[in-house]
Amino acid sequence: MSPRIAGIGAMASVGHGAAEVFENLCAGRGAPNVMRGFDPSWFSADHLFEIDDRPEPGADVPGRATAFLLDVVGQAVADAGLPEQLDDIPVLVGTGLRELRSVELWWREGAKFQADRLHFGTALRERFGAANTHTFANACSASLYALAFGADLIRLDEADTVIVAGVDSVTTSMYGLADRVQPSPPDRVRPFDRNRRGTILGDGAAAVVLRRDTGRHGVLRSVGINCDAHHPTAPDLDGITTAMRRAHELAGVRPRDIDLVLLHGTGTPLNDAVEARAFGEVFGADAGGPLLTGIKSMTGHTSGSAGVLSLIVALRALATGKVPPITAVDDPIDEVAGYRMVLGTAVAEPLSVAQVNGFGFGGVNAVAIVEAAR
Amino acid sequence: MKSAITGVGLAVPGDASPADLLEPASAGASAVDPAARLGRKGLRYKDRATQLGLCAADEALRAAGLWDLDLDPGERLTVPGDSVAVVVSSNLGNIDTVCRVAQTIGDEGSRATSPMDTPNASSNILASEVAIRFGLRGPNLMVCNGATSGLDAVHWASTVLRGGRAEYVVVLGVEPDNEVVRQLTDAGRVLDGAAAVVLENPEHARGRGVTVHAEVGRYARTSGMAACADRLSSGDTPHVWFTPEGTGIRPEALAGAVRLDISGRRGLCSGALGVLQCAAAVAWFAQGGEGPVMALAGNDSDDATAGVLLYAGVTGD
Repeated sequence: MSPRIAGIGAMASVGHGAAEVFENLCAGRGAPNVMRGFDPSWFSADHLFEIDDRPEPGADVPGRATAFLLDVVGQAVADAGLPEQLDDIPVLVGTGLRELRSVELWWREGAKFQADRLHFGTALRERFGAANTHTFANACSASLYALAFGADLIRLDEADTVIVAGVDSVTTSMYGLADRVQPSPPDRVRPFDRNRRGTILGDGAAAVVLRRDTGRHGVLRSVGINCDAHHPTAPDLDGITTAMRRAHELAGVRPRDIDLVLLHGTGTPLNDAVEARAFGEVFGADAGGPLLTGIKSMTGHTSGSAGVLSLIVALRALATGKVPPITAVDDPIDEVAGYRMVLGTAVAEPLSVAQVNGFGFGGVNAVAIVEAAR
Repeated sequence: MKSAITGVGLAVPGDASPADLLEPASAGASAVDPAARLGRKGLRYKDRATQLGLCAADEALRAAGLWDLDLDPGERLTVPGDSVAVVVSSNLGNIDTVCRVAQTIGDEGSRATSPMDTPNASSNILASEVAIRFGLRGPNLMVCNGATSGLDAVHWASTVLRGGRAEYVVVLGVEPDNEVVRQLTDAGRVLDGAAAVVLENPEHARGRGVTVHAEVGRYARTSGMAACADRLSSGDTPHVWFTPEGTGIRPEALAGAVRLDISGRRGLCSGALGVLQCAAAVAWFAQGGEGPVMALAGNDSDDATAGVLLYAGVTGD
């Protein structure tokens, strides 16, 4: 029993709304900007992929992640033709950083903030009357993890409709700690490039409506989830290959059935090398088959929202046959030689099955398989 | 389908065993000392919440027969690592790290931060450290869902079992005490402790011959205590009611139930409450108490109330 995707919603620095985000990604638009909500004198780096909604440069306000979330859930609910009153419909939110940016503003600058806004249920209840809400803080695979549990609720007959979302806004602490360990600040996110220097964080949010029987955007065939149990921040080849194989097994697909892979591709030296090797190991002789792309060169690393954001891009690619490129790559790493990387400009070809990767701190891996709507 | 509780672990000031949870907290109980319980090895750079969580998880895994200290290091997990999932609930776990790092950056810039803080800035550090220490490679979920979070975690653990994603789940609820979280929550004191239970399919537990201490039944998350109590008590009148934190009117559906406040005087339990309630239910049934127990978390001023029904364990032959 595979749930269908009946509604989608998205926003990131690259655009507002799933259609605009996808169009801009296909056009290769999307690059980091000079930081707006933070004091650049605190950091070596000075670029971010922020959603530009602050009242004025340098001034930040609490509650931005919550506002992004409500926005994309509203989009997805409207797109699915559901009423805005959600009542018992489960809403599962994956996030890396919750409202921790607001906590920072409260602690450092005396901004008004209460503990019951750390999770998103309070705002979802106010806006949508939703009572069955769940905030999962599963680092950078959070929204795909939430997707796994949303699909399970439908599979286990515990719900007919589930909303799954991801959201994150950049925090001082996460950005500063990344800045601390980067030898020289990256000017761009260059996934799978020999000269990649690390990732750049971004704001982002995305939501999908899963339904048992109806949904024009596609079919969710599986989500494989596991944990490396290896290292708090470094990825692990075994853990990632296991997650991919589990997703294939649950979906009943073989590597040769997969036409498109949305890579996690963060632009960090370690992730991209390990992810490329894991792909090669799992796909073996079929590794030259699927198109490979990723969104982070144009969205930045939007943390917990990245998985469902990538999923929506995959769904639009399956629907339109158009695949947005990875930009800013001049010299691909050896590990991707012979693979059909979509670099620089969009590619068009008919597609029916896509794989979406999401890996996070703590070794939390999630891999989704989606199929075009027929 | 119910889930069986086959192991319990506590790391709570003054509460040596689950039975102590049924009594009011003893005044002046000394803080949990993780190094005394686990040894110093592997605790360096881990935040307080993670250390407390590791203590409770260690005890629960040993109680369930999944972790055997008599075996050689590297072989102590008695079942395959990918058969064990981890679901952790905490709202306040890494707040202290985030505020301290943000303060350092604002005062002295990012160069003054310590890379050792990087893992702790991610809210799922607790869940991943439990996985790493014990080699648990199943699904690994960090639930940060407000007042209901502990019972929500129990629900997601049951979902993992029903969905066939793992054979065992360690469910952990943790809240640390420090100046930052006291200010944020307006609490005089936070629990500074952790509780853990191991869940598995009851048939599976009986099959491997372990004691089922209690069974976890239906779950609901609704607007308000009365609606939650109504939904869960239909067809199954609870004998005991474990109350949410804070004030609340007794729901009509629980008019005849014995009332117990597990959080009472332990400080704010927040995301740990639901798991503490499960541990307390184990003690209740061990003392011959009648079920079902209805555990509620989240009162009428929270965004929702979650509830779980707990039953005495059915012993196999």
